[in-house]
Order: sequence, then C-alpha cells, then structure tokens
Amino acid sequence: MAKHRGRGFSTIEYPTGMNQNGDPTQAWIKLKPDGSVDVFAGTVDIGQGSKTVHTQIVADALGVPYASVTMDNSNTDSSSICTGTFASRGTFIGGNAVRLAAEKVRERILDIAAKELEISPDDLEIADGEVLAKGAPERRISVGDVAAAATWSYGELISGHGTALKPLAEVDDDDGSVTIEPHSAISYAACVIDVEVDDETGETTVLRMLQVYDVGRAINPTLVEGQIEGGAMMGLGLGLLENSYPYYPSVEHRGEQFGSYLAPSLEDFPVIENVILENPSVDGPFGAKAIGEMANNAQPPAIAAAIHDAVGVWVTEMPATPERVLRALEEKERREPRREGKRVIFDEEISVAAVSTNGGEAYWGVHG
Amino acid sequence: MKAVGARLPRYDGLAHITGRTQYVDDVRIHGTLWTKALRSPHHHAAVRSIDTSRAEALPGVHAVVTAQDVPRNVYGHLEALGVPADEPLLAEGDVRWKGQVIAAVAAESEEIALAAVDAIDVEFEEREAVFDIRRAADPDAPTFHQWGPVYPHFGPHNHRRVRKGDVDRAFDEADVIVEGVYRPQAIEHVPMETQVALAVPEASGRLTIYSCTQAMYFSMGVVAAHLQWPLSKLKFVGGTVGGGFGGKVDTATETICALLAIKSRRPVKWRFTREEEFLVSSTRAPWHIELRDAVTTDGWILGRRTLTLHDAGAYARFSPYGVTKHAFHHTGAYTIPNVRFDGFVVFTNRVPTTAMRGFGVTSVSLAVELHLSRVADVLGMDPLELRLKNANRVGDTTGNRVVLHDPSTVAVTLAAAEAAGHEVGEEYRSMTSDRRTGDLLPEHLVEQQAPEGAHMATFDPTLTNGGGH
Repeated sequence: MAKHRGRGFSTIEYPTGMNQNGDPTQAWIKLKPDGSVDVFAGTVDIGQGSKTVHTQIVADALGVPYASVTMDNSNTDSSSICTGTFASRGTFIGGNAVRLAAEKVRERILDIAAKELEISPDDLEIADGEVLAKGAPERRISVGDVAAAATWSYGELISGHGTALKPLAEVDDDDGSVTIEPHSAISYAACVIDVEVDDETGETTVLRMLQVYDVGRAINPTLVEGQIEGGAMMGLGLGLLENSYPYYPSVEHRGEQFGSYLAPSLEDFPVIENVILENPSVDGPFGAKAIGEMANNAQPPAIAAAIHDAVGVWVTEMPATPERVLRALEEKERREPRREGKRVIFDEEISVAAVSTNGGEAYWGVHG
Repeated sequence: MKAVGARLPRYDGLAHITGRTQYVDDVRIHGTLWTKALRSPHHHAAVRSIDTSRAEALPGVHAVVTAQDVPRNVYGHLEALGVPADEPLLAEGDVRWKGQVIAAVAAESEEIALAAVDAIDVEFEEREAVFDIRRAADPDAPTFHQWGPVYPHFGPHNHRRVRKGDVDRAFDEADVIVEGVYRPQAIEHVPMETQVALAVPEASGRLTIYSCTQAMYFSMGVVAAHLQWPLSKLKFVGGTVGGGFGGKVDTATETICALLAIKSRRPVKWRFTREEEFLVSSTRAPWHIELRDAVTTDGWILGRRTLTLHDAGAYARFSPYGVTKHAFHHTGAYTIPNVRFDGFVVFTNRVPTTAMRGFGVTSVSLAVELHLSRVADVLGMDPLELRLKNANRVGDTTGNRVVLHDPSTVAVTLAAAEAAGHEVGEEYRSMTSDRRTGDLLPEHLVEQQAPEGAHMATFDPTLTNGGGH
C-alpha cells in the first residue's frame, strides 16, 4: 500500500461566441456635458468581470481615462440587446459592440474639436482625455470642453452605437459542413497536472496544475487569471468530486445541500501556475479572444491521464472518485483492453453495445 | 495610461465584497407576495386531475396558476434557431421528471404559500420511467416524449452528423484501432445566489421583472412568448448576478412570477430554496461518448469514428445546440482527415439538462484528450509528441470544413512542456503552427490543406453598422 505520483496532459481548443453565430450584442454611448462617458449595453456580469473589461475597452477606444467611463447594464429599457452572457462571448462580441460604439463617439469628438481648434479632424488624436494636434500637442482641447461645446454651442448630443453580429452559419445536416466560420475566434490551452494517488483508499490529490492559455489579448490579466483559477477549480470538481447523480444513471441519492454535494473548496486548491500567451485575433477588441468557459475543460482528462500514470488504471467515467479508482485497481486485469486483430478495445462493459438489449441498433445502426 | 492590458480592480468588486451590491433578493417592494410551486413527486406519471379550489380559498392566498392560465404554455428555448417547442411552462396532461412544476401560488407569506401548495389536489397515474440513455432507444424501452426517445429534428435526421473523407479506408489502412468509452457526468452549477425573480406590476400597465438571468433580452423574450405580450410591456432589471455558470440562461422563475403578478395585481417574488437549486434546477448534461481512432504506429491519426449520446433529461431545452457544438469540436485541436460522427439527443425522465460552462465541448474535450493519452500509451509514444504531431496548423481544415487561420495548439503545448520541464524530441521542439510542409504534410493530410491565403469570413465589418447620429 503506497502513494503514487503521476502526471497527465491535455491540449484543448474552444470557440468564442455562439456556435453558428447569429448572436448580436448592441451598445450605445453618450457623453455628459463635462465629457463623462456613459456606456449602455445589456451584457450581464455574472461575476466574470465583463463590466470592467468593457469599460477598459471603451476608455482606450476613445482615449479617455478609465475613471471617466460609467457602465450601465442594469435594464432592458436603457440597454440595447445582448444575446446573453454565455458561449464565451462577453469580451469578444460584447467588447466589439462597445468598441464600435466608442469609435463612432470618437469621430464626433474629433469633428467638434476640429471646429474648435480649426484643424482638420484627420490631424487630431485623443489621449488621456485630451484632443491634440498631431505633431503640435500644445494645440489641444479637453474632451470635457468638446462635450461642453457640443452641448451649449452646437446643439449636439455626442453619442454613438455599435453592433457586433456575425451572420448565422448554416450547417449541412448530411455532412455537418459549414461555409462560414461558425464562431468568432478559437482560443487554445494546454494543461499539465501532477497527482498523488493512494492505492489503499483510492483517493487522488491534485498537487499541481500548470496551465497555458492563448487568449488573444488579455484585456485585464488579473481577471483572466481569475477565470483560469476559478475554472481550474471547476475542472478539479469535474475530474474528482462532483456528481449530480452519484449512481448515474440512477436518480437516487442526489445531494441536496452543500454538505451532501461535493463541490471543490479551498482545501482542494493545488499549486496553480498560469502562463498567458497572446496570439491576437484579427478582429477581436484589441486582439482579444476568450477565456471564460474553456477554463474548466482541460483538467478532467489530464487528471484521469495522471491517475493512469500513477497507478496504471484508466478511469473514464467521471468523476474519478476513490471508489472508481479502487474498483479499477481491483479489476485491473479484467479491464485490460481486448485485442482483436489490430483493434485495441477498452471499456467494453460500459458500451452501448453491451448495455442495450439489441446492441444499440438505434444508434450504431445509422446508415449513410 | 492605457486601460487595456492593465491590472485594474473590478468595476464592482468593492461593492460585492462589502455586501453593498444590490442583487435581486435585496430589492424590497411594498406588498410583495411569496411564491411556492407544486412539483411532481413522480419521475413519470399521467396527471388525471388538478383541483386548486381548496388552495384558492385559503386566507392570504392571492393567486394560483396552472397550465390553463398561461396564454402560450409550450415553449422551446431554441425556436429562433428552428428547434420546435416541446416544454410546457406548467405541466399539462403528464409529468416527465420529479420536480416538474404543475402549479404555483402567490401568498402573503412563505408559510401560507407552502400550505396552499399542500392544499392543491392532483391525481396521478404513475408510469414507467427511463434513465439509461444507452437503452432509451431500445424497442422495449418506455417512451414518454412526443418526439420519441431521441430528438428527431436535425434536418432530415434524428442525430447530428459529421461526414468527411473515407473512414472505412482509414480504418483499413490503420496499423492500430484504439476504442474507448467516456462518460462525463452531470454536475450542479452551485451558484451562491439561487434562482430568483421579482415581478412588479407598474401603474403604466407594464411589468418590471427583477431577474438573475444571464441574458436579459433572451429571458424577456421567453416571458413575452408565454404571455403573448409585446416587449414594450416588459422591463427586465438585472445585469448583476451572483453566479450563473450557464444555469441562469434557463429563465426558471421569471415567467411564473409574471403570471402570478398579473393575476394577483401584486408584486410577486420567487426564490428557490437551496434544496430546489440542487434538486430541480437544471444540471450539466451527462454524456456517453464512444471513440474509435484509426492510427499508424508512428502516431498519425488517419480517422475517427464517434458515437455520442447526450442525456437531455425530459425536454430538449438547449440540447440540440449543445450536440451540434460538440460535433463541431469532436476532433479537438487536431487535424483528422476522415471522420464519421453521430450524435444523439436522448430523452430521459430526469431534470432537463442545460447549458453549463463549456457547453457541448467540456464533454468532448474529456473524451478526445483522455483517448489521445490512451492512444499514446498503446503506441508507446510520448503523449505530447503525439499531440504535437497531429496538432492543427494554419490552413488546415476541420471536420466541418472550417479553415483555420490562427491556431496555437503547437504554441500552448510546447509552452506547457517547457514550463513543466517535460522533454520532447528536437523535431518537436522546433515545431510551429505554420502551414504544413515536408514531413508534417504526409499524403493523408494534403487534401486537408486549404490553398494558401484562402480563409473564411471572420468578423464582418459591413454588419457593424454603428451610426454616429
């Protein structure tokens, strides 16, 4: 009886935006008379930090201080449509909507500044809340003074709106093919997990998670790390702990309290190392792709592979509970793959062919 | 100072951690009524009769709703994408999962609401239930869904399919065929904030709905469809959510609150108990995935045969979407020239499953990556070298014919190897994601490479019609 260490790997990809697209986010922006920026978008912040990220994008797209931007996503009367906070679409699609709205506002600021400074708008730029003549920064006017001029002299509400929408990608039902990209971008990640498996209790402890994520561009590295580490814990729950139906497919013995449902907690938190790569997307806001959902996908297969590396058994029904690991160890010989010619057949006992009364004809019998 | 790339603190972080953020449950409106639901005690049963008269007569009860009170009771989450409606808001004729809502009441206190639920009389006739997706489509399996055991509307097919290349030939030519079965489980979303909504009738005749939805416009559309109201009569207030993870796309409480508010002419609130959140809110779906890979002894993947069963629970909800997304990513981060994929949405008598972080792909990532670790083990190959060899490159075409323009599978894999101190051979260390040439463009991958410069439409600037004014 001993504890054994093992290492497992995985490499994954994950799409940004709803599969097959067709999921708009719209945003609009107005300036108050002192140059304060009000952003309205319907993107719900579920705790991932989209309000922060959108505010950062608007601040830089306009060239104004972050602190001068207010983000309102509080209701459907003032906000335009956002299809929703899912499908890892907040930063890319929501971010593009607010970026495009900000670019329209920027054009209006430059037009009015051009009148005030008597310089062509093409020769102006905005930085830190000041509109400056390119090459002659002493000729300047603040965004606040531009907004005041718009309000009191020109009778204009400086505003702009933006829509991010990629058209629906139709899928061919016969072969699954598409003719336009069915996503906005793809993010990539690799994961290395070290575990220790106790062959007496069957318990697996994750010692270390090393994860590399290409997110295109980290708009806010702290929030990206928050997603990576929060996702890692959910991935650990998927790999080792959580199960709505402990005896699936039976519906009995479901956990109905925190005390009877095993979600990961701080005591399960291993050493986590994050590497963020930035391979910018061609059309995301400032090159961003996505990080949200994919952050819990890489760990379960790496954990299961690490268990095999440690004790030589494959657990392919999730989660890899102590009971499952122990059973796999006990039945190690019986579970060796069956070899038939060049076929190496694992897991036959749990296959459709074995469990169905007619070999799974309804599923495996598909023609065409 | 540039904001993009800066480690700025969260916009709303201080308010969250000091308890000053107003979530739905913090909103106080004078005269608000409590909601409780009568839920099915059976996994599958016919509903012979419902009698709400005793409940309605209880002092303090202001409204009771059943299916008859819903202008359009049936709803489909994906109707906009062509998936027909199949799920009633309130059960009608039968119940198909334990916990399905049959009726709801609004009363002056939680206690009265609970007493009223107990006073609703329902006659059931229990029926056999089905739980194992592997057997659900067997000839002798009980069926309960109007569409049969599996979702039948993937165009002319009852399954999502991907077909590319010549899979039979790939399996003939392979040196080894590795077969495995992968079963990722259902889990709970476990948000700190349980499902909650508050519907307030306004003097204008509009209805304001305070909601924890992850998608205000989507949920507003769901409510509007059930009520048969125009969007002008609804206002959703939300945008700040105490944890969602996909579970709050379901619009679990909003519509029933709206119905009760309209009927009682009072503000109505419904907050799931923790037990309800665990037992009757939707879960991540359980999946069953069988993979067969045709490989060469030197580690090329020539072909893949996939059978996926997705446990939808009792109704379709987002399941057809999830299986299509799953199908689109069933080759993972690799280029496999010959694929045949069949994915079924299978109905069982459990809580309908729904979206959750990584929807459709978490499951296939488990299967693909664990399977590749096995393939490497069978071949006696380094697991990262196997991945690097088959990793997708610029110009490669996926199973569903997407031409990749910026994959970074090689970059993330090599970065992970280096950071972990895992040695790979020199030929692997020098790999990049550039277009395949030489040894990395064997005969079986030549046709997978799109012509130089060919790429599919990305973000379409003609659709970014932001007007200045």
